[in-house]
Amino acid sequence: MNKEMLQKTANQIRKDIVTAVYSAKSGHPGGSLSAADVMTYLYFEEMNVDPKNPDKADRDRFVLSKGHNAPALYSCLAEKGYFPVEDLKTLRHTGSYLQGHPDMKHIPGVDMTSGSLGQGISAAVGMALSAKLFNEDYRVFTLLGDGEIQEGQVWEAAMFAGAKKLDNLIVIVDNNGLQIDGKIDDVCSPYPIIDKFAAFNFKVIAVEDGNDFDQLDKAFNEARLTDGQPVAIVMKTVKGKGVSFMEDQAGWHGKAPNDDEYKQAMEELEKAGEA
Amino acid sequence: MIGELMDPRKTFGKAVTEIAKENKDVVVFSADSGKSSGFGDFIDQFPERYFECGIMEQGAVGMAAGMATAGKIPVFCAIAPFVTCRPYEMVRNDMGYMKQNVKLVGRNCGITYSDLGVTHQSLDDFGLMRLIPGMTILAPQDPVEIEEACKAMIEYEGPVYMRIGNPKIPVLFERKPFVIGKGDIIQDGEDVTIITTGSCTKDVIEANEILKEAGIKAKIIGLPTVLPLDEDLIRDAAAETKKVVTVEEHYINGGMGSMVTELLSDMDGVTVKRLGIPNIYATTSSNYQELLAYYDLDAKGIAKSVKAYLGK
Repeated sequence: MNKEMLQKTANQIRKDIVTAVYSAKSGHPGGSLSAADVMTYLYFEEMNVDPKNPDKADRDRFVLSKGHNAPALYSCLAEKGYFPVEDLKTLRHTGSYLQGHPDMKHIPGVDMTSGSLGQGISAAVGMALSAKLFNEDYRVFTLLGDGEIQEGQVWEAAMFAGAKKLDNLIVIVDNNGLQIDGKIDDVCSPYPIIDKFAAFNFKVIAVEDGNDFDQLDKAFNEARLTDGQPVAIVMKTVKGKGVSFMEDQAGWHGKAPNDDEYKQAMEELEKAGEA
Repeated sequence: MIGELMDPRKTFGKAVTEIAKENKDVVVFSADSGKSSGFGDFIDQFPERYFECGIMEQGAVGMAAGMATAGKIPVFCAIAPFVTCRPYEMVRNDMGYMKQNVKLVGRNCGITYSDLGVTHQSLDDFGLMRLIPGMTILAPQDPVEIEEACKAMIEYEGPVYMRIGNPKIPVLFERKPFVIGKGDIIQDGEDVTIITTGSCTKDVIEANEILKEAGIKAKIIGLPTVLPLDEDLIRDAAAETKKVVTVEEHYINGGMGSMVTELLSDMDGVTVKRLGIPNIYATTSSNYQELLAYYDLDAKGIAKSVKAYLGK
């Protein structure tokens, strides 16, 4: 792992996220920023993907089950080379291919359309099952929100994946602790998340700080070695990570910065990038 | 004209199994109802391509869609409301919006689960599915057409909803290739056009005998595809007879009759009488035939409604 490169890339992706949401005048910065590090790790370290050949059959798949993190996904894809970084500024603009939620039919590199919470993980399970059935060795990664796992469909998919021992499936839970209406444990607590996935026959890997590349690296290396059961990486993160006034604030779940806020956010990120 | 009685579910399951012998991409998803969906042979012959999910229809639609992204052709069959009403959003997003090549089959459609009551009856599936852009809806009318529809459904690339019944149905037609989107003139006539689909076609054909005795010459159109509607065939017939009757085992609101009415709404002098179930929670009966008669959807009831509509 080239930690310095990953940190630099994640910082650039954070700037892209904030810029895209600012340009759209709407969007979801909070969860995009909490997941920016793990998504950077996936696209720039872990997954076998090729931006020049987005549909290659043996690629690893990524399903953004928490589809509102579209700004983070689009930023990763753009920085990886799937489409021009400049296009991020067209996010949510009329006629742009960069819609509010990921659309596999129009965006290169998007493996699954998502947006309605709970649906992505089922599709990821279907992909993993297909690989098993046809002896293909790609892996399927899917990122869920901690609020998202309140959806019953998540547990249908988890039960199936556990029962069928889909060890080519890696479920990642972005445990930033907040959802639109507030703290997840106040709204309707999904805790204990680790025990729940364990009870569904997953190998669970807990990550204390999901915004730390050393810890992510350790977790994904452990996931790679897991045999005979699906993996759930439950990582604690900070919502809005990297922009001081967005950090740990439910209010920044789905809101765009104004001119002053954008300026401040970019200054902070510039500074962090120089460090 | 009315031939051998066959079980629609077994016919369907056998047809998919036959196709799967040649087409290795065909896989089957089950939500704890594989054998009752007619897949007994498929399970024996292709256990590795049969995925038993347990009772999780929403998850099953999503998983089938995920598998379709990898080029497979998943067929998922269960009791009609459990593959339409319950996972509606998954069908809309994962199959419709994403244009995934999943084949959804609702069995025991309409009021064929007469005895199990409202939760198991499916009188809104045409209505729900027709609102999903890009969806194809098939409702084959006899066992031979079910077999041919299965072939067409698998060959066609895109999301399909097919609806089949439960009680045995007779062979009505000679075998011919199933063309999605095409209806047939079962009988020509000039007094009224009767448009029928799915299991109602047998009763319409029987009703026709009663109408003939009353001197009514009906043009009968069978629609094994409900969406896309065979618009030219229907408009031409309506222009000729002016009076149109639709017959379906579905709510009179939102289904095939509504589609036909919308299609013909700009035609001067054309009126449409929709026969089906009124917009209520249908009553229950352990006898399907009795329930059809209760809602005037048996041959006698259909003939009675057509005669009344024509003022005869």
